[in-house]
Amino acid sequence: MSRFKEFTKGIFSENPVFRLMLGLCPVLATSTSVKNAIGMGLAVLFVLFCSNVIVSLIRNWVPAKIRIPIYISIIATFVTIVDLVMAGYFPELHHSLGLFIPLIVVNCIILGRAEAFAGKHTVFLSIIDAFGMGIGFTAALITIATFREILGNGTWLGMTIFGTGFEPVLLMILSPGAFLTIGLLIGFLNWFEHYRTVHHS
Amino acid sequence: MELKMLLIISVSAIFVSNFVLHRFLGLCPYIGVSKNLDSALGMGMAVIFVMSIASVVTWSIFHYFLEPSPINIIARCFHKNPPDLTFLRTIAFILVIASLVQFVEMVIQKLSPGLYRSLGIYLPLITTNCAVLGVSILNIDENYNFLQSLVNGFMSGIGFTLALILMAGLREKLELANVPKSMRGTPIAFITAACMALAFLGFSGLTIN
Amino acid sequence: MKEIIKYALILMAVTLTASGALALVNHFTAPKIEAQKQKELSLGLAYVLPEAESGIIIEEKLNETVIYKGYANKDTTQLTGYAFSAYAQGYSSRIWTLVGVDTAGLINRINILDQKETPGLGARCTEIKSGDKNPWWQRQFQEKNAQTIAVKNDGGTIESITGATITSRSITNAVSEQSRILFNNLNHQE
Repeated sequence: MSRFKEFTKGIFSENPVFRLMLGLCPVLATSTSVKNAIGMGLAVLFVLFCSNVIVSLIRNWVPAKIRIPIYISIIATFVTIVDLVMAGYFPELHHSLGLFIPLIVVNCIILGRAEAFAGKHTVFLSIIDAFGMGIGFTAALITIATFREILGNGTWLGMTIFGTGFEPVLLMILSPGAFLTIGLLIGFLNWFEHYRTVHHS
Repeated sequence: MELKMLLIISVSAIFVSNFVLHRFLGLCPYIGVSKNLDSALGMGMAVIFVMSIASVVTWSIFHYFLEPSPINIIARCFHKNPPDLTFLRTIAFILVIASLVQFVEMVIQKLSPGLYRSLGIYLPLITTNCAVLGVSILNIDENYNFLQSLVNGFMSGIGFTLALILMAGLREKLELANVPKSMRGTPIAFITAACMALAFLGFSGLTIN
Repeated sequence: MKEIIKYALILMAVTLTASGALALVNHFTAPKIEAQKQKELSLGLAYVLPEAESGIIIEEKLNETVIYKGYANKDTTQLTGYAFSAYAQGYSSRIWTLVGVDTAGLINRINILDQKETPGLGARCTEIKSGDKNPWWQRQFQEKNAQTIAVKNDGGTIESITGATITSRSITNAVSEQSRILFNNLNHQE
């Protein structure tokens, strides 16, 4: 696969959220505002990048039988680093993301990519894969957060979009709104995919 | 007072702050295993077991080894001020959970090969189930004692299983319904989850006096 | 058998390296994190004990609970009031409220420092309307008797947030309960 394709597959054809359905828990929980979405997305991108690099570097020395605990230890280390740095330097973001920062360690995307890709490819390709998947994840998060924040709070990234007459749809910020948004988005993407294949043949 | 607190924790874990529908923990198996009722029930049982034991073990590790408190092992044995090792929480917890799941896998394989086969890939995936690590961390953040952590772990597992079984029942019916092609499978499952979450929001008025 | 030992050693090496790396990062970030907490606390205390601004606030332990005494002068001669933390089990989070009372037991101000309640409902307990400087819901607490404060549904004077009766009641009850504990301890001291 060409280098460029390696990168874009993470954003479109193999988008971890919309296509592979991985890492759903933080997506629904942190998409209440675009600011949280960006924070979470960047945190995941950082951990994904670091873990892919290390896993790829040691891939020839890791005994297959204990690779999962080793991968988990590596990922947990970087997640803790993100946790500590955020608590020290970005306390507000750390507070809003809360429980979901340490939960990055069980984000299926990171362990999934380590197992499926980084453990079998070179460092350079693993870096490209990490960026593709990480940006795809962040893009999906921001998309969902955009819907939820605009409809549920009348703002985008904190800036008021509608005037004071807008009555926000509180439901969007609460849990049903999250399920609704992602369900409709995946349904729309399925329809779009089908429409594209039909019209290209 | 102690019993009342446990009752509050239980009601909160199952209804008011349901792990799946309110806290968004445990979504991957929720979407992945809820296709039929039997595997949902089996998965639920396994998760309840893992969550209860994980709650207790992670609580003990945190309070006896990591947190600098009077009951810390190092404080007890060496009578010195123990170092603050709370930053090792994430890595310690996840490794404990991974080992626990491995152990449960072996036990199920021995005791009930049928269940082992039907759960398939989803059994080792309990390790990455946010609900297990989530409840372990929540027990620490909410400052629960040993018994409260155990109850919270067990009851959260029940809440997860409840949501899972309800979803499985609904999805079995959905298979027979006339769903638009793009919405078949995961999208309609999410919309169903949205309705369930909406229903569970009604529990937010529950108080215990 | 030899394989298991080899695997165990490799795992131990990995986890030791990981722990070492984390200890290093922790060494650098821990003081920053502690400083953040202290800053948040001292800003919160200054807000609820306004008369102690030019004086000093001293932390004390009274019967297992931590309280803060505010003095108008740095030589601790003029006691202006007390501050304490009240924790409430809200709808979806543990709410941390800092309460400042004067020596007569009337509330100066409350300061809700930590909550993760439902946005648009319970979370409005810390909402600041545009043009205001402090949260509108918390202003109700000012000048009221800390030990007898209650929400209107329970016969008191605090108006609950619409749609967030649990949050409102938990916070109010935590404030009254904790202040009763404080004054109980103070009376027993004399």
